[in-house]
Amino acid sequence: MPPIDKTAVLQGLTGVFREVFDNPTLNLREEMTAADVENWDSLNHIDLIVAVERKFKIKFTTREVTGLKTVGDLAELTATKVSAVP
Amino acid sequence: MTSDAHNLDYGNLLAASRRLDVSGCSQKVRVALLSDSATQRMVPLLRTLFARQGVDAEIYEGPFDGIELEVYNPNSGLYQFQPQIVVILNSVQALRANFLRSETAPQTFVEETLSRTTRIWDAIHGALPATILQSNFVMPYERFFGNFDLSVPESLYATVGRLNAQVAVATRTRQSVLLNDMEGVASWLGRRVWFEDRFWDSAKYFCALECLPYVANNLVTMSMATLGRATKCVVVDLDNTMWGGVIGDDGLDGIQISAHGEGEAFYRMQLYLRALKQRGIVLAVCSKNEMANALLPFEKHPEMVLRREDFAVFVANWNDKAVNIRQIRETLNIGFDSMVFLDDNPFERNLVRELVPGIQVPELPEDPADYVRAISELNLFETTSFSAEDAKRTDLYRAEAERRKEQAGFASVEEFLQSLEMRITVERFDAFHLPRISQLMQRSNQFNLTTRRLSEIECKALMENTAWLPLYAKLGDRLSDHGLISIVTVEALVGELAIRDWLMSCRVLGRGVEGFLMNRVMEHAHQLGLARVTAEFIPTAKNGMVKDFFHQFGFAKISEGAKGESRWSISTSEYLPWQTFMQSKT
Repeated sequence: MPPIDKTAVLQGLTGVFREVFDNPTLNLREEMTAADVENWDSLNHIDLIVAVERKFKIKFTTREVTGLKTVGDLAELTATKVSAVP
Repeated sequence: MTSDAHNLDYGNLLAASRRLDVSGCSQKVRVALLSDSATQRMVPLLRTLFARQGVDAEIYEGPFDGIELEVYNPNSGLYQFQPQIVVILNSVQALRANFLRSETAPQTFVEETLSRTTRIWDAIHGALPATILQSNFVMPYERFFGNFDLSVPESLYATVGRLNAQVAVATRTRQSVLLNDMEGVASWLGRRVWFEDRFWDSAKYFCALECLPYVANNLVTMSMATLGRATKCVVVDLDNTMWGGVIGDDGLDGIQISAHGEGEAFYRMQLYLRALKQRGIVLAVCSKNEMANALLPFEKHPEMVLRREDFAVFVANWNDKAVNIRQIRETLNIGFDSMVFLDDNPFERNLVRELVPGIQVPELPEDPADYVRAISELNLFETTSFSAEDAKRTDLYRAEAERRKEQAGFASVEEFLQSLEMRITVERFDAFHLPRISQLMQRSNQFNLTTRRLSEIECKALMENTAWLPLYAKLGDRLSDHGLISIVTVEALVGELAIRDWLMSCRVLGRGVEGFLMNRVMEHAHQLGLARVTAEFIPTAKNGMVKDFFHQFGFAKISEGAKGESRWSISTSEYLPWQTFMQSKT
């Protein structure tokens, strides 16, 4: 698959975030952390990860799941994984 | 429809749970969830799936991995919550860790695990009259010996299998403990999908998120059966449902039904229905056909599995199917919501769905080869018990249909009732009959004065309570043995005998069983020297047929509440014994 740019990933992530956090007006910024998004707790984090995996057809490792700090980290990692899919 | 991929999508269900509207729910239930793993997400899933069944469920979630802490502490949240249903979910992940670390012999490990489980049931039942839904263990994926695992009794794989078998056996002899076949759910979805070790490690989820709705749905289906929901009858179309082709056009030689080849899809369908019949589901035919044509394959085709006598009612004419199904319902005296209609034709399915509210009409796949699988996957026939009465139910209903025909030939109802040579047995509840008693308590909707759904354990408590006289009645006649068909419970209070439960199977309507039992109740009040007999009627959507029940026996209404619930009373000495046409048999 050709490299995917981060903007496209962020756009896809926005849809996923809106669904998972039930907030249709949520806008993502790269520096956002769990503290900036209402209801981003550990349960919703797993829902989010699984939803992102489904959307982009990728899989995160346990370390990646627990190590992600910002929306930017997630977008970057997602872009890398999507591009790495043969 | 109870299940399909879209309806059981995790994300959709969670979204639906945030906007859940339970205002249309006609029933409430209190469910407690105890587990050795994380269950937070089960709560919204269960509430959403219960609401789909018209049930507003209040869920109590026990603390993480705190099953024993909850059940052995009399002041725990579990007991304060007073649930009707207690769900116990055990994960194979927790078991696996215990087993692999364990120093004890595998056989001892099995015995200890089993005894821990049954002691938990005992503790709960010591404090609550709740139904317990106990999970079994999903088979683990590790095979330390490869295929040889099952040949090594000490292996993890063999041990989990043995434990599952023993938990199942233990539930058979227990009252109000039902086995939640999680292994069945997991193996249907596939263990490759089920196990998601990342989230076990980080959050103690016992399965992948996408599998959770199937676990929840299984629990809701079991709970609905516990609350009295049960499919009693399957109504089938004939052409292209029971055989391939159209009997009226293709003739006996042209239809497809055989043990091999293309006709095998229908052969398997008939085998499936036959097994359902043997398990107590009543079968009926509703076909657009000439009667003679419709009967022809049943009488003449050598490969047919089902025979005419396997069906309690057989309707073949050119009326619309909604009209025919209403007629079948009347003949059998059951609720539409306990009926399933199977028809290959989408037009007929939609018509029946539109015009017969409550009836379940599953979509049938285009290829008849997939019929049985599609029906089976919906799990429409969940039950909480199986008794000897179940197996012969179609025969009983068929005899009843014949009896109705016969009735036409008598000058009076009395003469007809006399001719039936009915024999009735009325006894106090006993241990032997408790399963059937509780089953009838769960299932009777129409002839049911207070609709209290007592579990087997609650029935047992009544049996042992000397202030109560809990009675069951069994009826037989010239044509058949109906088994246990009615329950009446009364409680002696100061100066009065209070009727608490009164219900009867609609199979035996109009025979005077209720008169016989009322005579018996009055006799009991008289023997105890109680001057009055009081009673209560609580209306539901289904019990309209008995709203004047006490009036008919001379009771006076003493009060009526806002929801139509009424209280009744009669002086013991003023009661006029009812005329009955049955012999008492002990």
